[in-house]
Amino acid sequence: MGIDGLIILDNAGRSIIQSGFRSTTPAYPLLQIDAVNTALAAASRPTDVDPVIQVQHPSNSDIPSACCHVACGDLRILCPISGNVDPLVGFAFLQTFVDILQEYFGGVSLAIVKDNFDVVYQLLEETLDSVGHPLTTSHNALRDIVLPPSLFSKLLNAATANLAAIGGGTPIQGPPAGPFSSQIPWRKAGVKYASNEMYIDVNENLQAIVNKQGVPLTSSAYGKIEVACRLSGTPDCTLNFTNPQVMTDCSFHPCVRLQRWSRDKHMSFIPPDGHFVLAEYRYTPNTNSNSAITRFANPSSTAPSPKEVVPIPFAIKAKFEVEETTGTNGATGRAASFPGTLSATVMLMLTTRPIENVFVELNLGESAHAIKCVASRESGGLGRGLSALESGHAGSASASWSFDSRKKVLRWEIPNVPPSTHWSLQGSFAASTTPPRPSHALQVRFEIQSHTFSALKVDQLKITGEGYKPYKGVRGRSTGNVEWRW
Amino acid sequence: MSKGPRSIRGPGKAKTTIVSRRSQHEYRKRKDDIKRVIASMTVGKRRKLVVPILMNYAKTQPELVILAVNTFVKDSDDPNPLVRALAIRTMGCLRAEKIIDYLCDPLQKALRDENPYVRKTAALCVAKLYDLKPELVMENGFLEQLHDMISDSNPMVVANTVAALTDIHIAATSSEPSTSSIDNSSTVFHITTAILNKLLVALNECSEWGRVAILNALARYTAADDKESEHICERVVPQFQHINGSVVLAAVKVVMIHLRNVKREDLGKQLIRKMAPPLVTLLSSPPEVQWVALRNINLLLQKRPELLSSEIRVFFCKYNDPLYVKVEKLDIMVRLANDKNVDALLSELKEYASEVDVDFVRKSVKAIGQTAVKIDEAAEKCVNVLLELIATRVSYVVQEAIVVMKDIFRKYPSTYEGVIPTLCANLDELDEPEAKASLIWIIGEYANKIDNADELLTLFVDTFTEESYPVQLQTLTAVVKLFLKKPDSSQAIVQQVLNTATKDCDSPDVRDRAYIYWRLLSMDPAAAKSVVLSHRPPISIPRTTVAPAVLEELIGEIGSLASVYHKPAETFIGKGRLSADAIQRKVGPGEDDESQLSTQKALQTVVAGQQSENLLDFGDEPSTEGGGLSGLAATQTMLAQPAAANLIAGTSSNPLDDLVSIFGNVSMQPMSATPSAAPGGGFGGFDFGQAPTSAAPQAVDAFAGLSATPAAPPPQQQKPQEDLLGLF
Repeated sequence: MGIDGLIILDNAGRSIIQSGFRSTTPAYPLLQIDAVNTALAAASRPTDVDPVIQVQHPSNSDIPSACCHVACGDLRILCPISGNVDPLVGFAFLQTFVDILQEYFGGVSLAIVKDNFDVVYQLLEETLDSVGHPLTTSHNALRDIVLPPSLFSKLLNAATANLAAIGGGTPIQGPPAGPFSSQIPWRKAGVKYASNEMYIDVNENLQAIVNKQGVPLTSSAYGKIEVACRLSGTPDCTLNFTNPQVMTDCSFHPCVRLQRWSRDKHMSFIPPDGHFVLAEYRYTPNTNSNSAITRFANPSSTAPSPKEVVPIPFAIKAKFEVEETTGTNGATGRAASFPGTLSATVMLMLTTRPIENVFVELNLGESAHAIKCVASRESGGLGRGLSALESGHAGSASASWSFDSRKKVLRWEIPNVPPSTHWSLQGSFAASTTPPRPSHALQVRFEIQSHTFSALKVDQLKITGEGYKPYKGVRGRSTGNVEWRW
Repeated sequence: MSKGPRSIRGPGKAKTTIVSRRSQHEYRKRKDDIKRVIASMTVGKRRKLVVPILMNYAKTQPELVILAVNTFVKDSDDPNPLVRALAIRTMGCLRAEKIIDYLCDPLQKALRDENPYVRKTAALCVAKLYDLKPELVMENGFLEQLHDMISDSNPMVVANTVAALTDIHIAATSSEPSTSSIDNSSTVFHITTAILNKLLVALNECSEWGRVAILNALARYTAADDKESEHICERVVPQFQHINGSVVLAAVKVVMIHLRNVKREDLGKQLIRKMAPPLVTLLSSPPEVQWVALRNINLLLQKRPELLSSEIRVFFCKYNDPLYVKVEKLDIMVRLANDKNVDALLSELKEYASEVDVDFVRKSVKAIGQTAVKIDEAAEKCVNVLLELIATRVSYVVQEAIVVMKDIFRKYPSTYEGVIPTLCANLDELDEPEAKASLIWIIGEYANKIDNADELLTLFVDTFTEESYPVQLQTLTAVVKLFLKKPDSSQAIVQQVLNTATKDCDSPDVRDRAYIYWRLLSMDPAAAKSVVLSHRPPISIPRTTVAPAVLEELIGEIGSLASVYHKPAETFIGKGRLSADAIQRKVGPGEDDESQLSTQKALQTVVAGQQSENLLDFGDEPSTEGGGLSGLAATQTMLAQPAAANLIAGTSSNPLDDLVSIFGNVSMQPMSATPSAAPGGGFGGFDFGQAPTSAAPQAVDAFAGLSATPAAPPPQQQKPQEDLLGLF
């Protein structure tokens, strides 16, 4: 009962690696794979397949069984569960496993998994017990028992037993000082670094929907405090913020002392070694104190008052026109065609920083074809030296567009939008058979370096318990995912 | 230590298992892997890679694996705790009877090992052993040891012990008494107050998976009094801030369960308020996690509507959301609708109705109707939005809007007659039976206010035999209504439709209804009037989609398959069989008779519904499970109504033979407990109209008079039957 195992499928739906299933019948994993493949084949879009698929247990029909699955690059990872288990446990475990692979190999793909078959297998063995209980999933503990594929271990693998017999096969870090000997479950004992460093990344992701009038309907920033910790010994850290009230709905890594946080809003913790997510939060302006109540009492909920949403750092004007002039008359025998024009302008509202890697995507509908567009920079910078410099610096990185004819998605890419510039996309397209029904929403993705929506500011990072003076760094970064309706 | 022999055995085994499965090319790649494995084995660093090979082997050729056992037994004394743990784990994985006997001694030692990693591995191994050979666990006193280990100083050991005990508990309680040699009482993991406190301490210090195991155990605990329940809730609430969603959901479950006993209202409110943020946070996760969260939120909202009451905006759909997420969000948005947020909601729904995905558009239109039915003040706005949508002339939007308008007419009779001409203008474009039937119902209902009602209905009467049965039934009723309202001008058309329906129609339902009308009209027009034109109870939107008793059970299973499917575990386990004594066992003795009865009924209905899912294919409740489940939901709603419960209680002693013989609808027989479920069928006459689904008006019309007095259906039923017999 619980998580039965993990199966990694390639993009053709074949199993590459699977963990050892306890199940008495070998048909069980095959049934799970089959159920997922069938569901995928039946769905019009692979993303629309239900994430939990009910599967009949082959040997004992009294056991409810289902298959959680997620796509991950060109792989699909299945996590069959049985018994009345929370599917979220399955998904949480899948996520954890993908994170582990990411940490070990720097990416997850078919090629990587095939190249590191042995390590993946060991990871499967160590993370999941055959009765369905996740075992060791913290990076710190795992690294002690499953060696990451370093250059040295590759060498070791290439050479055969004789080298190994002589070499004794000690990893670079020296023999682990007894795995699981650490008193703190998330931190391994006896960590030593020549230079002690701790970097804190505050990453915020803006999730917003903007309506036709350009007014944000919903807009929240979801923040993540990610830490890269390379500190020797057992340091005790205290992280203070000048404005901790911007963080609402916080959730924390287990290392954070919750009592300290609720008492004086200090994050006090003994960090795990390496990279980890310290905390997650939501930022919505002016709802910091007892959020639910004030908003409920506030009757102005028809449209959120401007104070309640995170401002969108740009504005878009989009126009879409479809002419129904030619060919609508069926008697001519020509296929009906509906030419249309589209134009869109992006303006940056932010005055201090450029936004980068802007992707604007628009689904043009089933029968769209003959797309012709011009992406250009309309006006820029109003003579500001900085923006001129920046665009000069960017060099060839100017706006471009492309059309994915399979997904019918028009994509407009602007690598760098300096402050106060206007960018536009103008073009035409045609649609046959039906009037074109482009989606009424532009999907915009972007990044802003060294900026956070919440303006969360780290006041101080105190590290006690160890004698050294570590190097500390804090960095903010924002990404956004905005749906802009027109 | 004899590593040599093992590494020699290794490649041979690997070949046999792998060559059989893989192509030559793949094989070469794997061979390299195996070589690497063997190399590292010899180094003594990665012997665990041999385990999967051995496990495969143990299944096919157990006698050979015996040869490896000695090594494992030796390994279990290795100075390296990792090796000790691995040896125990491996032996537990090898599902060969002969190995098991060698396992006991090392396991005994491992349970007392000084290293927590070995102890926690050993704890899980006991559960595996129990699965293979329960006698051994009992004989060696492993269970007692596990119970002692709940007091272990290491929280991870506690968590794994809890997981192992829970596994044994489930295995012991679910298996039939065939394993009678074992005294079941000792295998039951009974959580006492002392254990409770240890669990609460360990909860804050173990890994996310350990927390889930402990929280699940806490959910099973029956608190002694409300003070203890409060204590548990307060100790569990910090888990809401855990970064792992499954911990959050397990904590929500524990709080929801123990909240039942919390008497302090302010504390209850406070707990519910604290529950909202973590649930909202889950919505920023990947779509799969969102979906599970949404399904659970949907359930929680049915129990606690005040939860998330101000958070409707986080449920707004994005164009790129997968369909399953959108559908779930839509349902929740309607649930959260109130007079304050209805404007924002409506403009959202209107937006969705212009999207490309047909299913989603239909559900959005339906949601507009549900909002109108739910919030009186917003009805007019909803109607205006629907009119705007009808003006787009997109076929499926128009059709769905008309179906929805019919519900609005039922809820607010004689309020929006002004829109009828607009609806009728689209008559030619309708090609779906449901939309047609809905429009015909509207025409019939307002026949006296529509000047050309007879012309419009004539269109349908002329093509009567070509229409689908629901449309035929509706046409029949509408024409009779027309005749009763305007007898002078519609003599001919009513004659025509009754003739056609009784002579040329091959559906027994249609024919019989025509006979009944004919008889009524010819015998006693006043009676006909009181039956056909009687006042219909207005519909309302159900607050819950599952019966309260089932809901209560599902709340206890938040964060489980049951809560995601919105069905109690029993119903999707196996083939949907559910014996009466199984239910008896399920329902605790502590519950009072009434709730026991209703749980039982509801469960039976769910089961019955599942067996006849094809009959329940309404497909219009916003639900990802498609037609089957939404039909179920509607049925369950029916059960939630006391009148329906009466009806079922009445008919259970008095089988529906009479009804069946009248309508000759054989397919109804297995459905004796769910009379409302046949779409537009004769049985629909007993629909009391609470469900805002399409079947309601068609059905209610047929026997509106009957359904107005649902308390005593059987006698009423007799009358038409006699008439009918007389007719023959």
